[in-house]
Amino acid sequence: MNTVDASEHYELGATDLSPSLLTIVIDTNPHAWDILEDSLPLSKAIANILVFINAHLACNYANEIAVVASHTQKAAWLYPSQTPPASTDQDGDVSMSTETTPQPNKYRPFRIVEDQVTRNLKELMDSTTATHLHGNTSTMLAGALTLALSHINRRTIAWAEEHGGANPDDTTAEGTAPSNRYSASNEDEKLQSRILIVSVSGSSDSAHQYIPVMNSIFACQRLHIPIDVCKLSGDAVFLQQASDATKGIYMSLTEPRGLLQYLMMAFLPDQRSRRHLVLPTRVDVDFRAACFCHRRVVDVGFVCSICLSIFCEPPPENECLTCGTHLDVGDHNAKPALLPRRKKKKKKANGASGSGTPMSVSTPGS
Amino acid sequence: MADSDEEYVGDVTEDEDDLQVTRGDNPRAKKRKQRGGAEWELSRTWETLVEGADGTISSTVEGLLEANKRKRLLKDTTPLQRGIIRHLILIIDLSQSMSEKDVRPTRYLLTLRYAQEFVREFFEQNPISQLGVLGLRDGLALRVSDMSGNPTEHLTAIQALKTQDPKGLPSLQNGLEMARGALFHTPSHGTREVLIIFGSLLSSDPGDIHQTIGTLISDKVRVRVVGLAAQVAICRELCTKTNGGDETAYGVALNEQHFRELMMDVTTPPAAYSEKESASSLLMMGFPSRTVEATPSLCACHSNPSRGGYLCSRCNSKVCNLPAECPSCGLTLILSTHLARSYHHLFPLINWVEVPWRRASRSSACFACGISFPPVPPEDQWQVAESQTKGMSVSSRYECTACHSHFCIDCDLFAHEVVHNCPGCQSKSAE
Repeated sequence: MNTVDASEHYELGATDLSPSLLTIVIDTNPHAWDILEDSLPLSKAIANILVFINAHLACNYANEIAVVASHTQKAAWLYPSQTPPASTDQDGDVSMSTETTPQPNKYRPFRIVEDQVTRNLKELMDSTTATHLHGNTSTMLAGALTLALSHINRRTIAWAEEHGGANPDDTTAEGTAPSNRYSASNEDEKLQSRILIVSVSGSSDSAHQYIPVMNSIFACQRLHIPIDVCKLSGDAVFLQQASDATKGIYMSLTEPRGLLQYLMMAFLPDQRSRRHLVLPTRVDVDFRAACFCHRRVVDVGFVCSICLSIFCEPPPENECLTCGTHLDVGDHNAKPALLPRRKKKKKKANGASGSGTPMSVSTPGS
Repeated sequence: MADSDEEYVGDVTEDEDDLQVTRGDNPRAKKRKQRGGAEWELSRTWETLVEGADGTISSTVEGLLEANKRKRLLKDTTPLQRGIIRHLILIIDLSQSMSEKDVRPTRYLLTLRYAQEFVREFFEQNPISQLGVLGLRDGLALRVSDMSGNPTEHLTAIQALKTQDPKGLPSLQNGLEMARGALFHTPSHGTREVLIIFGSLLSSDPGDIHQTIGTLISDKVRVRVVGLAAQVAICRELCTKTNGGDETAYGVALNEQHFRELMMDVTTPPAAYSEKESASSLLMMGFPSRTVEATPSLCACHSNPSRGGYLCSRCNSKVCNLPAECPSCGLTLILSTHLARSYHHLFPLINWVEVPWRRASRSSACFACGISFPPVPPEDQWQVAESQTKGMSVSSRYECTACHSHFCIDCDLFAHEVVHNCPGCQSKSAE
């Protein structure tokens, strides 16, 4: 469009701040929303989140949004929609033919997001059957986070390509690109991404997702993507650690009805504005580890040096329960003594040939 | 190209003949076998270029780029017992040969820059490991930073080297002896490793380096060398002997990028060879809780006043950073997240496979990021396309063998190098 004019390019670099990509992970676990029905029904929460999305899009014309649903049996995209291929092109525009009801008084990006999110969410809910829900109260948080990260990765690459000069290292040495791209050297010149998790489920059911969730958290940490957590009900240890490790915001809402206000006040500022704000942080993060054998929370535990499993007491028969290695429990934590062998040798020498060393024998005798 | 390189090696060895105790042999004989030596000679990239149907080479170039990305990805994913708790000494050559400018800006500055990146990446990958840095200068081994688990100490120490100049001759033996001393007290459950960045073609040693190699073997220290100039016989012997006959521990950098790759390879925890080599044991570790106090107090580790900190779960001393060893009672203090960070080495993500056109019609867009794949051509063109490309997927699709979702090359890279999760497997419930 305007890129033909060279001046546009310089303006962008000099004055314009890079846009931010907000990825919202909505926990759509029906069990948890059912409990919240009295204070904040899902429909109202979605309406609030849509207003929040609009506010984010309005902050900067180039701001981007992505919405992922973390459902009980799968994680799915709500926006941008994946099902109709190539409905969104490079700029995030939707081809004209997909428009349903023209609403001339609405800002176009707002309407597109709104349409897609509600339509996809409805599809997701319709596809959920009672059998899916039976006895399944967890949520696919790890999948949703991985999807969100893949999208962020894709958009970051695309953005860097569009704004060629932003990361010169990438273009000169293609082979070394991953480390440069993944290490976020110049923060102001790249797409600013962050993840907001609107969570309702407790963490007790998602223990089997521990490793994948932790992997996603470390990826975020490495890419400098803060994970904000808006906790409507329940309490999740993972999410506390997630926001703590990635320097995001963790808020457990005391009054879920005020969701919109919480979102607007706490979660709207992007990383750049956050440097100047006093953020609502949590000081008491639960870092304790649960042992693998009894799921007890431990202060001092035993760790297998091979597979790093945590035990609250030495496992039976000294065999690691996870990897089956025979473990040496004896003097754990003891440092090797400084040359213990020499003493032994000397003693042996004394005992074996006592008369052969006249010097040492004669001194005590005389 | 090959000839000129060997002449260069020959010149250098002749010049320095009188100085050296152990010197580089002619690499000609063994070069073919060696990793790093022969790769570039064989890859004549211009010959693989084939004009596309439209008369341009853009498609082939893209294919080569993709194949290159893919090459780095394919690694062994069999779950191994790995030495997660590592003790590594990084030895940097600081002798005059490092002032050569065959890599940009100089060998010295580039090595220091990569060393800093290496330290960062090392602690990223091995959060509960220890690292120390040594330098080789003027025939002496120089202690740059002590063994510690804190990356910032090493980074500042390496940064400080930048103001100094490389000088004198290196002594491998002195460096190895000092590294052996530094690793002597490390507990037996961890690995003992040495990584040498060696830019010289000689080692000016005070004694017999072969004896040192012998003691290194008996102390179970593994040595890896990244050479910058050409292959040196003693380095090769050192690596092979201390790694149980494994020759891949010695690599000679071809260019900046290859140099970097060789160094970054070392950040992956090594597979444990056998049980007797590293006695596995049960470690007692503390998982401290974080506190924030109303008034600042001194931390036990650095005696700096601070308000936040972690209290040792056994003796309640305050340390300011984790992971650490409690300064008063010696308990290893870590966060459970530090342990979790190593899990992807132990449970690696399986490699994804290339998808032939036959199965490509199942997907039209990448499952994870939604980028659209090239459409499936008519059946008679399949063979043509498949013969053109090697090392990459003809259909640009990569399939996870567990969940059968299709992904693009970027997501493939991203999933294996950064997230270590499969987006497909995690997004569908196991039924």
